This record gives sequence, C-alpha cells and structure tokens, in this order.
Amino acid sequence: MGALSAAEVSYIEGGIAQNLRSDGRGRLDFRNISIVTGVIPQASGSARCKVGGTDVMVSVKAELGSPPKGRPTHGGMMIKIECSPTAAPEFEGRGGEELSLELTRGLERSFLGGPNGSGAAIDLSSLRIVDGKTCWVLCIDGLVLSSDGNLLDALSIAIKAALTNTGLPKVEIVAGETGDEDPEFEVDDEESSQLDISNVPIIITLTKVGKHYFVDATAEEELQMKSAVSVAVNRKGVICGVTKRGGDGLDPSVIIDMISVAQQIALTYIPALDLQIAAAESVDPDS
Amino acid sequence: MSGPHLDADHELRIAKAQRLLRDAAGGMHSRAFVNVGDVIPVDHEAGYLRGHGTQPVKEELLATVCGVVERVNKLVSVRPLRARYNAETGDVVVGRVTEVGGNRWKVDVNSRKDAELLLAAVNLPGGIQRRRTAIDELNMRDLYVENDLISAEVQSLHQDGSLHLHTRSLKYGKLRNGQLVRVAPYLIKRLKQHFHQLKDLGVDLILGCNGFIWISAASPGNKDNLPGSVATSASAVVGESPLQFEVRERICRLANSVRVLGALGLLISPDSIMQTYEASLLWEVPVKDMLSADFYVKLAEKEAEQRMKR
Repeated sequence: MGALSAAEVSYIEGGIAQNLRSDGRGRLDFRNISIVTGVIPQASGSARCKVGGTDVMVSVKAELGSPPKGRPTHGGMMIKIECSPTAAPEFEGRGGEELSLELTRGLERSFLGGPNGSGAAIDLSSLRIVDGKTCWVLCIDGLVLSSDGNLLDALSIAIKAALTNTGLPKVEIVAGETGDEDPEFEVDDEESSQLDISNVPIIITLTKVGKHYFVDATAEEELQMKSAVSVAVNRKGVICGVTKRGGDGLDPSVIIDMISVAQQIALTYIPALDLQIAAAESVDPDS
Repeated sequence: MSGPHLDADHELRIAKAQRLLRDAAGGMHSRAFVNVGDVIPVDHEAGYLRGHGTQPVKEELLATVCGVVERVNKLVSVRPLRARYNAETGDVVVGRVTEVGGNRWKVDVNSRKDAELLLAAVNLPGGIQRRRTAIDELNMRDLYVENDLISAEVQSLHQDGSLHLHTRSLKYGKLRNGQLVRVAPYLIKRLKQHFHQLKDLGVDLILGCNGFIWISAASPGNKDNLPGSVATSASAVVGESPLQFEVRERICRLANSVRVLGALGLLISPDSIMQTYEASLLWEVPVKDMLSADFYVKLAEKEAEQRMKR
C-alpha cells in the first residue's frame, strides 16, 4: 500500500471529522466480518477471518511439552504471527518481520497473561497432564494473507475462533505418573475435549486521526494514523491488555476515554461475534 | 475485490441469479469463454495462427488463460479477463505519480509498466508556453508531486510495453476533493465520454479505462475549474472549504455502488452506477450497508431479472 496524495489525505480526514468515512461507515462501525473454522485439517483447531479486505488465518496446534520453569501445574501457550508476501510486496523476504513482531507482541500482551501465567486467555492449569513433567503446549500460528488495515483485531478474532474450534485429544497415562522415570502416554485422537474459552479477549483498536478516533481502520486510513490504542477486552468487559502504537503522544484523559469506548463497543460486539463463531462451528466442513 | 461472505440462503439466491444471467447471455457464452486448458475449436484444414493465450498440444489448440476467444482472420487468441490494464491510444486514465525526475513523471496506471508523462506533454499553469530551461525541470514538483492522483490521456504506446501520457487539456490534471475506487479494468468499456458530471447530485465522475474510478465533488463554476485544472500546486489543497455532508454522502453512495458492481463483475458505466445508486435509495439501504451480502445478492437478482426481460 503506497502513500496517498495530499488531496486524499484531507478528504479522508474530513470524512472522519464528519463521521462518514470513505466506504460510508461512521466512526464506530465495523466492516463485514466472515469467519470460517476448521480450515486446516492437520491443526488441532483453526480459523480464517476476513474483515473487509483483510484476510487472516490462525491455526492452533496442541503439542505435548514440558511445563514452564517454576510453574509445574501449568501448560504452555505461544503465539507467532507471520505476514505472507501475498498480502503486500513489502512483506517479501524479511520485509514483513517488523510488522510480524509488532503484531505478535500486541497479541502476547493480550493473550498470554502475566509472567506467572495468571490472567491468560486460557486457564493454563487446564493444560496440565503430569505435574512438572508433561503438559499441553498450544502453538498459535497466525498468517496474514491479505492486509487492508486493522490486522490486530482481525487476528484476535481469528484466534478466538480457532481456540473455540480446538479440541485437545484425550491422554491416558500408561506409566510413570509418579517416581523418577519418564511418563508414557497414549494419545487418543478420537476423543477430544474443548477448551474453556470464556475468558478469551478480542482486541478493539481505536485509531486516532485528527481530533477523532474510530474503529476498524482500513489500510488507507491507517496510513494517516497519528496514534492508535489497541484494547483487549473479554466477554465480561474486563480489559486484558492495552497496546499503543504510532509515534504521536496522547493525553492520559484521551487514553482513558478511548479505553472506556473500546470497552463499551466490545460489550455489544462480542456477543454478536460469539454467535458468528458458533454459526461457523455448526457448519460441517465435509458438507 | 471479492464479494462479501454469504450465508446458505444468500448462496442459493446468488446461484440462481447467476444461472439466470448465464441463460440470458445465450448460447454464445459457452463458446466464447474458455478456462485454462480448454480446447479452442479451430479449423485445422484452413489453418490458423495461434495468438496470445493459446498453446498447441497434440493437434489441439488449448487456452493458457481464462478469457474470451478472439478471432481476427486466421489469428486465434484469448483475451484474459483478469489482467493488468492494456492501454490503447486515446484512453482516459487515472493514475498515481510514483516518481518525479529528469523531464518526466512516472505514473502508476495499473499497467505492466509505469506510464511516463513528459514535461513537454503537460499544460503549464496559466497556459504559458514552456521555455525549455533547466529551471522548468526544477519546478516540476510545483505541478505534480509523488503520490498525487492525476487524470490523463494515453498519448502513445511503445514497442517495449511502455506508454506515454499527456495532460494537454484543461480537463486533465490533478484530482482532489474525492475518492478513488479500483475495479478490474475489463469492467470499464471505452466510451465517447469518460468525464461525467452528475449535475443533480453535484458529483463528478471519471471512469479511467485502467479501472481507476475517481468520484469527487463537482468543481464549482466554469471550465477553469474542471477536475484537475490549473490550480495544481500541493498548497491548493490546504485551506479548501470542507465538503458538505450531503455531497460526501452521495460520493460514498456512488463509490459503494461502484464497489458492489465491481465485486459482482458487472459492467461499470454511468448508467449502471446510477441504477445501482437509485436502487440503493429505493430499497432504503444505508450507505454503510451497501457492501453487505444482502444488497450484493439483491442487486444480482435485479440484474438477472432485467436481462431476462430483454
């Protein structure tokens, strides 16, 4: 996405000020969202989410691993986002690394909880198998297929949908639950259990252009972004993470204002999203 | 641009509309249109010349691209539908300046190569004659700078695929007070007129043959102020009076009409845009809901119905 001419910049800024953006949306309107789940058969759970022209895919792979140091009763979770060169020519080679890293950081901040694992999107103790020895590690991999702004929000929705879609295989411990020897398992892929996703947040990014801020920015609008605040909110309306992007400074009162607006939006937006995810889940991928 | 996400009910309705559209097109549709690998029927006895988009495989001529079969005497070729812009002399195009240097601007017009706009091929502000001096070349940024959107006409095509533009008329030049919508170039047919003034709406429309469509507020007053007239310096944008809300709403509605037509793959002409615009008003669709699945499907059904009547 290249830059815009001075005339376009003033047109878009005028539209945001008048609460009528280039595609007819108001400042607090989202673009149409489509969610498809179960798109990658090899993964434990996956989802593809399109927000307007933005297209992202997320897979969740559950692997057997060892618990993090100092937290023997916890499982692990990691997030990695990649920007595909199909999304934009700039992403070719190492070009997308900076953006990938920024997105990964933003999501980690919102989904992984504190250093002791509390406050994570998924209750990490539900991933334990043998304390101190073995647990589930959820590898969340995101891929940006097409970029038309608002990547972080789209990725958070896709992660939520992919986690909903995830089934953990049933594990039976054959030997070595206690004692020093290494434990042995039988993994039964036929039977699987769902994760508790009631605390998984979604991210609402408010982008500020001029005096106003708005949700779901397109790539064109993001080009003029002075600053943006991404707020992760879960179903209860609790703030799980805040990320500020863009170089321009923000007054603390504005930030507080933006956070409360994001919270309000999320409270009405999340139930609608949950319905859409449930609808996507009910579609049989084989039919 | 791809269409919106459709649920099962919409899926059914759109499939039905597409079937109707196909029937309305008649039998010629199946013969003229080929996919990659389809056999193109040719007269082997009289002989033929194979053109672009074809490849002979074991006595048969196969298509290598999806598109429309074109025959000129013995030459058989396939014109791809989804391709970059193929310029022709005299086309009106909308493009974005990518580079300023030497005595020319480079302009991205969605073609295989950036087009060139020579300093000698533009009207200087005030219509003064250009004296070929170095100062002239140093002042090129007063006219167009990088990322500026301009309208221009294709002056000439060259052997190596490059093309030259000119803006030697008052109607060409820098664009402002509006928005750009991109569609596939094949959706825009070459017409006598590519500049349209929708008088009742107070909106100007430029249908670039390269698939770039510029929709802007009508420029006030007389010819001097046609879109992209001589007041072209970057500073002219600053301090401009803001657009009226009603005009902006109409621009957005028109822009979304174009987007929906583009997503449906329907031809884009002033008529089709206005019909879509009026349909959206008739059905009382808010501007922001024009990109929804519902409007998309409804429009396809309307189009199918219309073609069946013909």
